[in-house]
Amino acid sequence: MSRSELFLLLSFDLREAFNSVSFVVYDWFFFGFQFFIYGVILSKLIVTLSNYLFYYGTGLLVLMSFNVASWSGRRFVESAHEGRLRYLLSLPITRGEMFLEQLLLGMVVNLSRLLPPLFVILALSHLYTPYSLAISLLVLTLVTIGIMGLMISLSVIAFRSFDIYSAIVASLSAILIRFSTINYPLSSMPKAYAGVSLANPVTYGADLLRSAIGLDTSVVLNPALGATVVIALCIGTIFVGIFFISTVVEGVKSS
Amino acid sequence: MFRKNSGCERYSFIAGVARFHFAKLILPKTEQRFETLSSTTDRKSTSGTEWAVEAIGLTKDYGRKRALNHLDLKIRSNQILVILGPNGSGKTTFLHLISTVLKPSDGTALVMGYDIRKEALKVRQVSAISFQDPRGFWRHKPAQILSFHASMYGVGGDERKKVVEETLKEFELWDSRNTKFMHLSGGQAKRLEVAKLFVHKPKLAIFDEPTTMVDLDGKRMIWDKIKELKEENGSTVIVATNEVREAEYLADRITILARGEHLVTDSLENLKDSVKGGDIVDLEFSLAIDQALLRMIEGISGTVDFKKISENRLRVRVSRSEDWLPVMTDKMHLLSSSNRITSIKVSEPSLDDVFLTYTGNDPEKE
Repeated sequence: MSRSELFLLLSFDLREAFNSVSFVVYDWFFFGFQFFIYGVILSKLIVTLSNYLFYYGTGLLVLMSFNVASWSGRRFVESAHEGRLRYLLSLPITRGEMFLEQLLLGMVVNLSRLLPPLFVILALSHLYTPYSLAISLLVLTLVTIGIMGLMISLSVIAFRSFDIYSAIVASLSAILIRFSTINYPLSSMPKAYAGVSLANPVTYGADLLRSAIGLDTSVVLNPALGATVVIALCIGTIFVGIFFISTVVEGVKSS
Repeated sequence: MFRKNSGCERYSFIAGVARFHFAKLILPKTEQRFETLSSTTDRKSTSGTEWAVEAIGLTKDYGRKRALNHLDLKIRSNQILVILGPNGSGKTTFLHLISTVLKPSDGTALVMGYDIRKEALKVRQVSAISFQDPRGFWRHKPAQILSFHASMYGVGGDERKKVVEETLKEFELWDSRNTKFMHLSGGQAKRLEVAKLFVHKPKLAIFDEPTTMVDLDGKRMIWDKIKELKEENGSTVIVATNEVREAEYLADRITILARGEHLVTDSLENLKDSVKGGDIVDLEFSLAIDQALLRMIEGISGTVDFKKISENRLRVRVSRSEDWLPVMTDKMHLLSSSNRITSIKVSEPSLDDVFLTYTGNDPEKE
């Protein structure tokens, strides 16, 4: 009964999320411009990596996932400020289901934005197989869930102060993206930077995706290690998110 | 000397007064009180519990600010309870707590027998709330919103389609059913917010200021629908409002909150009676009022004060006109004067007066 209510809520939210497809199309254009212009030019400059274009392209996919995850957190914050969250809280679903619905919503939105770019990379790199497509989607989904869980958990800060939340998310995003292997491999980083990047789960997500697609594995981290970190990130942030949603959102912490 | 006439005149008659007139005067009020008593004690809710809501030491703090302070309140099943209170009195906080939108800082409440702390999901399955501000569904359309809401409460298939259509028509939203929420007027959005509860008719229906932003016709329609919810569906209804007219129209019982404290809960009649000197009796005599008559009036138990309006007219403030008038007429008979009462007019206190008495605030100015 409850599970069906979760999917009812999901379909209601999806209707709103896809009410305007312009954002989805914008993301495809964003990828196209970045990949075919910026990426092509960069790959001519960078000669230490064999075929940097696809390395850069997969990094773009992770970056787009990151953006969708941030959108989910921000959407959750907005729903609180717009009065939508209290309606959700009054509906006959558990807080955990409500959190999971948010994750599923983010996943579906993410896939809608990432599928065409992923096809482009797989096709142009001649690495397309049903297996590589499936495993890449799985990795992207796990990365998105992990980051989304983190962002939604962080969104509870916004119930105290939206300014602090915005500052934290902007700073964290800058750090997580720059100190990761989204745009450059660990081997090319100064040691100090590489040390920080190794503590960053996005590094493992990006490298795991490259392994899943089948790119040059000499410059990426061990996929088993990457999978462990990404799965741990997912599980960890889901639990933290559910905890925050079921405690802070209903106002217990304010007592 | 006197507070302004409340405008709630119920009885006025002119003549040499006989006792049976007072029986007529008193009877409707007394009957009404018995009816209320019998209905509240005999009736059981649809869930089998006498109390739809029992708040036990319910407390809510927002940081250092205490919004609700150890509230103890019992709400009978199948009644309309109206919560009156000035802004910041804790009305909305209380409604959000019992609908599990907020968690209490201390204490708890049982809703249809379910504990809001331990059985929040069950509480949400038997209750629903219409919020004060209709917000949050900018890109959805009224038909979609009602359909979704109905489906979340298990109303499915053709029944859902039918009930959504009926509700949209009843709430005058049919023509706007495919207009995006963000393009609805304030009144339409508010009607939609209220209408949500009528597509599944919960056992406990909670309305937070259900008619703000709604025009006069719309207000009456919403009030009638709320009454219908109780009478035809057997729902228990809680309405928080600042609007005294709304409270008078709807309430079986009224609770007054102020500064997060529960001040009183009672029927409208009893609350009005509880206002000391609340009933105003205007007497007109056939002859001029003399000192003996004034002393007699002053000596009657329940006389709070009086004022001569003219030579033969007197205005008396009394605690309960039903008790006071028979005593007064008895004593008039005993007076060895040929002076007779030619007119009696009784005005009872309004809910404004009641509210003022308990909180010291004018609700409509809040």
